[in-house]
Amino acid sequence: MAPSPKQSSSIKLPLDLPPENFRRQLRHEAEQWWQEGLISVDLYEQLAQRYQFQALEREASHRFIAILMGLGGILLGLAVITFVAANWQVWSRPVKVVLLLSLFLGINAAGFYLWRRPIGQKGQQRLGQGLLLLGALLLGANLALMSQMFHQSGNLYELFLIWSLGVVAMAYSLRLISLAILAWLLMAIGYWTAWITRLQQVDFPDQFLIQHLPLLAAGLYVPLAYRCRSKILFALSGVAVAVTLTFNLLPLIWTGVNGWLIAVAVTLPPLLLWSYSSQIWRSSRTPDPFQATARSLALWYMSLLYTVLAFRVWWEQPWSASSVQSGNVQVLLDALVFAVIAGLGWMQLRHGWYQSRHLDRALHSGTIAGFNLVTALALIWHCEMSPLGWTGLIVLNLLLFLLAIGLIRDGLALGSRDAFWGGMTLLVFGIICRMLEYNTGLLLKSVVFALCGLGVIAAGLWFERNIKLASALPAQEKSP
Amino acid sequence: MNDQPAQLQPTVVDPRQQPTQQSGRRLPGWRLWLPLLFQTGLILAVPAQDAYTYATGKPITLQTVPVDPYDLLRGHYQTLSYDISRPDQLKTLPGGDWFTQSQAQSSPFYLVLEAPPAGSSHTPPKPWKPVQVSAKQPANLPANQVAIQGKIDQYDQITYGLETYYMPEAQRTQLNQDISQQVNPQSSSNNQQANQQAFVVDVKVDKTGNAVPISLWVKDRNYKF
Repeated sequence: MAPSPKQSSSIKLPLDLPPENFRRQLRHEAEQWWQEGLISVDLYEQLAQRYQFQALEREASHRFIAILMGLGGILLGLAVITFVAANWQVWSRPVKVVLLLSLFLGINAAGFYLWRRPIGQKGQQRLGQGLLLLGALLLGANLALMSQMFHQSGNLYELFLIWSLGVVAMAYSLRLISLAILAWLLMAIGYWTAWITRLQQVDFPDQFLIQHLPLLAAGLYVPLAYRCRSKILFALSGVAVAVTLTFNLLPLIWTGVNGWLIAVAVTLPPLLLWSYSSQIWRSSRTPDPFQATARSLALWYMSLLYTVLAFRVWWEQPWSASSVQSGNVQVLLDALVFAVIAGLGWMQLRHGWYQSRHLDRALHSGTIAGFNLVTALALIWHCEMSPLGWTGLIVLNLLLFLLAIGLIRDGLALGSRDAFWGGMTLLVFGIICRMLEYNTGLLLKSVVFALCGLGVIAAGLWFERNIKLASALPAQEKSP
Repeated sequence: MNDQPAQLQPTVVDPRQQPTQQSGRRLPGWRLWLPLLFQTGLILAVPAQDAYTYATGKPITLQTVPVDPYDLLRGHYQTLSYDISRPDQLKTLPGGDWFTQSQAQSSPFYLVLEAPPAGSSHTPPKPWKPVQVSAKQPANLPANQVAIQGKIDQYDQITYGLETYYMPEAQRTQLNQDISQQVNPQSSSNNQQANQQAFVVDVKVDKTGNAVPISLWVKDRNYKF
């Protein structure tokens, strides 16, 4: 898009353009206002300039081309990987090695030099990006060929992890989100391949990288998210840390059931995510751009956790250890490091509590801490003292439904559609699970539904009264 | 895709997302070559030790039994289980009490193999026989002996890094037929023993005890991929 000659210094362009669908809507509205005579041509031009109306179509088509190029690169990469797996014998080993290595270097170089082409050659830039993606897949093909040539019997997940490390290095250097996401996917495939190997009990992946994947994922992908300024990447790294932290502690729990360890495994990830802020190590006054993402991840984690733990099967009998699996104490190091980070984060959050800035939300730091405290206490009591039975079941179900209602309430109060529908889904899903789980008489079910309905209506009335009170107060700030 | 470079609105789009810096300066070449060098290093590091073994190792032959699975990246392969992978057989050797000791799972062991008596060259080659188990790498072995490094896991499985032999998809069916004819013959047990001996693997073992499979013998046919 060439800059319009009408652009004058008086028009200030917003630093961050609003989302595309907003701009599309605005264009539609502005056209109508102009036709209805509400605004003048000049004003329309100014709006068009400020919100880059002309760029809208072009951006969409550019994105489409970029997706096509990326898809083409991925398909070509898969072709080469499959070729290696076919182990074709017509070409000798040296020929294959030379061919694949030169293809790897050549494609990467071509991709890079096309990608950094100057302004005005967008098509080539996109082609370059597709080639860089292909180059990242060729790295995997080369690794597989080398391993195949020497008939290595090492596990498949090791190859995936090494591959992921290679791609992440390139993503760092070029600040390319597409490569970073590919590297994350390879790491995830590697991790779950290791888990499948572990469950098959063929060869125990006591591997250093797998044991310390939580630290590795945090150390590699969180800085990369800042470097690329990508929320998606930050969310992916948060998911990786939370999931690997919990799943790495599981084998330890299987060996000897320890309530304290279980409590750490399931409450550390949400506490860490909720309190996350780069201000822990940076003395900057500007809020962390990814804090909201981290907090919604914490809520996701808790929702899933309570959905799982609200089933009867966990609380009916004490958890028994399985002697088959054995854990590795090394994973405790990761848990310790993250516990320290979470602790520092909560120390920071403490300041906010006294200022009672959070009262406009139902799910603020105080309630999140409370939720996790109750979860931890219930698990420790159940495993270390005496089985909780019905009490534990009721507590966890209460937590599940309170969380759902809290999300709905915050969603409505703050106009956040995601929170509202998230809470709604959690609520409905929770009710359906309980309905299918308990095969009770229909009469009892009817009574339970009636009670639930009454409770929800009562909650509605209570909120109604609160909102009336709140609207009398000055407008509250929305920030967490 | 968020990472599309959009230099045309320099004030609008985050300049960090662009390959060309805001000042118009291009991204320097090392931004490609440095990570590419690292990636090439990874490619070469994966086979480094095995390439050394391949180049300098001593060729030996081992008795084996195969199965055929599939690997996503590296294709079809034979899973090989060797005579020397059976703990009950190794426990009877000198030094075999190592397997009953507690540190057995965490550290590797060395198995000394001895060449078959020299004589007429045999097709397929006769397998080497295990003679001794040792916790440390044995020094000053005679020329007809070699020490191979092995590991035992908690399920009593012994591995030498020789357990997979990748094979081309094209020859897979034929090779599998050959193998099943040799391993599961519809004949007397005496004959079966003879046939099993016809299935051996040529291996190279280096000074450190690392081993690489080189080729597969099915009766008098040699497969080298």
